[in-house]
Amino acid sequence: MKRLPLEGVRIADLTMMWAGPYATRVLAEMGAEIVKIESPRAWDNVRTLLPVEHPEPWNASVYFNDYARDKKSLTLDLAQPRGRELFLQFVAKCDVVIENYRAEVLDKLGVGYEVLRKARPDVILVSMAGFGKTGPERDLVGFGPIVEMMAGQSSLAGYGDDGIPYKTGISYGDPVGGLAAVGAVVLALIQRRRTKRGVWIDLAQRETMAQMAGEAFAAASLRGEKPIHYGNRHPHWAPQGVYPVAGEDQWLAISARDDAEWRALAGASGASELAALPLAERRARHDELDARIRAWSHQQDPQAAMEALQALGIPAARVLNSNDIHWDPHLLARESWNFLPHPCMQPWPQPASAWRLREANPQLRNSAPLFGQHNREIL
Amino acid sequence: MCVAEACENPSRMSELPLAGMRVLEIGGGVAAAFATRFLAGYGADVVRSEGAHGALTGDEEAALLGGKRRIAASDAQLRALALAADALVEDGMPGALAARGLDPLALRAAKPALVITSLTAFGQHGPYANYEATNLVAHAAGGIHSLTGVRTRPPLQNGANQALKLLGMNGFGATLTAYYGAQLQGEGDWLDISAQECAAGMLELYGPKSGLDGVPCPRLGNRTNAVWGLYPASDGYAGVCTLHRQVPALFALIGDPALQEPKFMDPLERIKDDRELGDKVQAWFAPRSKAELVELGAKHKVPIGAVMTPLDLLSNASLNERGFFDEVETPGGRARVPGRMFLGIDWRAGALATPGADTAAVIRDWLGAGGAR
Repeated sequence: MKRLPLEGVRIADLTMMWAGPYATRVLAEMGAEIVKIESPRAWDNVRTLLPVEHPEPWNASVYFNDYARDKKSLTLDLAQPRGRELFLQFVAKCDVVIENYRAEVLDKLGVGYEVLRKARPDVILVSMAGFGKTGPERDLVGFGPIVEMMAGQSSLAGYGDDGIPYKTGISYGDPVGGLAAVGAVVLALIQRRRTKRGVWIDLAQRETMAQMAGEAFAAASLRGEKPIHYGNRHPHWAPQGVYPVAGEDQWLAISARDDAEWRALAGASGASELAALPLAERRARHDELDARIRAWSHQQDPQAAMEALQALGIPAARVLNSNDIHWDPHLLARESWNFLPHPCMQPWPQPASAWRLREANPQLRNSAPLFGQHNREIL
Repeated sequence: MCVAEACENPSRMSELPLAGMRVLEIGGGVAAAFATRFLAGYGADVVRSEGAHGALTGDEEAALLGGKRRIAASDAQLRALALAADALVEDGMPGALAARGLDPLALRAAKPALVITSLTAFGQHGPYANYEATNLVAHAAGGIHSLTGVRTRPPLQNGANQALKLLGMNGFGATLTAYYGAQLQGEGDWLDISAQECAAGMLELYGPKSGLDGVPCPRLGNRTNAVWGLYPASDGYAGVCTLHRQVPALFALIGDPALQEPKFMDPLERIKDDRELGDKVQAWFAPRSKAELVELGAKHKVPIGAVMTPLDLLSNASLNERGFFDEVETPGGRARVPGRMFLGIDWRAGALATPGADTAAVIRDWLGAGGAR
C-alpha cells in the first residue's frame, strides 16, 4: 500500500475555532499525526458553541467532531509551569507547531518561537492570527466573517439592486486561511528538508483571504475600479442566474456562455423565439430572459431539470443545500461521505478527503477523540 | 524580483524553497493558474501552456501569471515537457489530457515521481464528471451558495470566481503535499480534486448539523444573530462577531444599561430577543464610521471589522508595512496585486510574460538541444 505524503510528520496543534482545526484536518487526511492540545480550563470554544443534550456535551458537538477526526487529544494548561514543561517536552518530538491565537498570546504564554526552538531547533511554527504578527492592525480580533470583510471579499458580493455587500454564508475566511496554512506547513517541510532549518511562518488570515480576489486588486490599482455587484449574473455572458424550481427553496444555477448554449437553453425553456438573440441583446434584455426562464423552471423537478439541461450541453446545477448535499447522486457515487462510529454521537456523514490521491487513497481512520483521550499515550 | 532576475542571481534562487521544482500548467483557467501562482512565487519554474483564448481576463492575468514562463507548444512537446516536470497541474475536462496524448496514467507509468493535479468542477469520475460547468454552477453544487444571501431572495454567489479560486487554493496545497511525498518516497500521484467536494466538506457547522438532523440550514443573510453580523455604518458597512465571552465587552462598548438585563446577557435568552438586540446594535453602529468602529473594536477587544474594498486596501497601512502587494507591469499599466501568501519564507514577485514568449527557452532548458530540434 502506498503511503500518504505526510506520514511520519507530527504536529502539535494549538489551534481553536475553525481556521486552524480545518488546516489540521486536511493535514491529518494527508497522513500527519495531529495532537490537538487544549487547556483543561479553556477548551476549544467550538466544543460548546451550540447547546447539546448530552451528559458530556463537550464530547458530543457535531461541529467540533467533524473537524477533529483523525486527531489525538491532549490536555495541557500552558498557563501553568508544569503544563509548559510538558508541552515543550512534547514539542521536542514534533515537526510542526501550529497556532491561531491572537498575535500576542503565544509569547504571553511563554512558548514563543525562540522558546520552541530551544526544545526543538528545527521546529516549524505556523502562526495564523487574523491580521498577522506585525503591522498596525496586528491587535485586531477577527473571526472568519471579519477577515472576509477586511480582505475586500465581502465588498464584491451583492444582489446589485440595493447596494448591500454580503458576507459568505459560512465563515469563509477560516477554511481559506486553513488551506493556506496547509501550504505553509508543507512548504516549510520542503525547505527544512533542504536546509535542515526550521522556520516561523506568519500567516495573516486577512492576507490569504485577499488572495481570493486578486483580479479586483488589479482592477482597483489600474483603473480605480470599485466593486460591482452582479448578483448571480456574469460580467460578460448572458443569461446566467439562479432560477426557482419545484420544492421549497430549491434553485437551479444556469449559465449560457455563448450563442449555442443560449439557443439550446431557449429551446429547452420554451423561449425559442428568442433563440437568435446575439449576446449584446441578451445582456440588454437579461431581466426579460430571466423571467422567461423562471416561468419554465419553477415547475421543474430540480434534478431532472439539471440533467436535461446538461444533456443539451448547458452548464447547470442544483443549488444544493446543507442537507441535500449529503444525498447528491454524484457525491454518493464518489463515496464522498463516510459514517464513522463515535462513542457520544450517532454517525453523521463526514466528508472524504477532497484531495483524492488516486494511488495513496486517503481514508478516514478515526472519529474525533474524546477530550484528553490520548493524555496517557502521549505523556 | 522577476523570474529572469532570479535566474540571473543564483544565490537568490537557491534560497527559495521550491527552487529546482518544475511545474507544467496546462489548461489555462482560473483554478490551475491560481494553484501554480504560489508555486511560482515560492521558487518553482512554472511553465504555462495557454488555454482557450480569453480563459483569463487581463486583470486575472495580472494577478495570477506573474513569474511564470508562457509557452505555445505542440501536444508532443507538452508530453515531453510533462515527463521533464515534477508536477503537472491542469484544469481541463476529464479525458482532455488523454485526448492530447497526455494520459495521466501513462505519464505516471513513464515517470513515477511525477505529480499530476487535475482540477475540475466535479472530479474525474461519477455521474456528473463530464458535466459542463462555470464558476456559478460549481459554486451551486458545493453548498456554500445555498447559505449565502437572504432567505427571501435567491441564493447569492460570492464575488471573484470563488468556486474556481477555492479549487485553485486546494490545488496549491495538494500539489505541494504530493510533491513532498514524492521527494520522500520517490513516487508522485494523480490527484483528482473537484470544486464540488472542496466546498462540500467545509460547510462550517451547517453541513455537519444538517447531516446529523436532516434539516437544511437557511440563508441568514448578513446576520447570523445580533452579535454576529453586518450593520450599516455612516460610511458603508461594518460588522461584529462575538463569542459569548466577548459579549460583555460589546455591551459595555455600546453602553446601553438595558443590555445588562438577563434577557440579553444570558445566551439562551438572548436569542429570543435577537431582533430587539439587533436594533440596539444597529443604532450604535449607524452613526459611526468604519474606521471608528474598527478602532473601538481593537481598543476594547471586541471583534469588529469593516467592509473594505480592494481600492481601500491598496492604501491600508498594515498591508503595506507587511509588504503584501506585488507590482506587475501589464499592458494597461502597473498593477498592484496580492503577493506572498505568508511571511517567513522567501518569495519572488514575478514579471508578466507575453503568451508564447518563452517557448524556445523552456524547451531548451527542460528538454535540451534535442528537444529544441
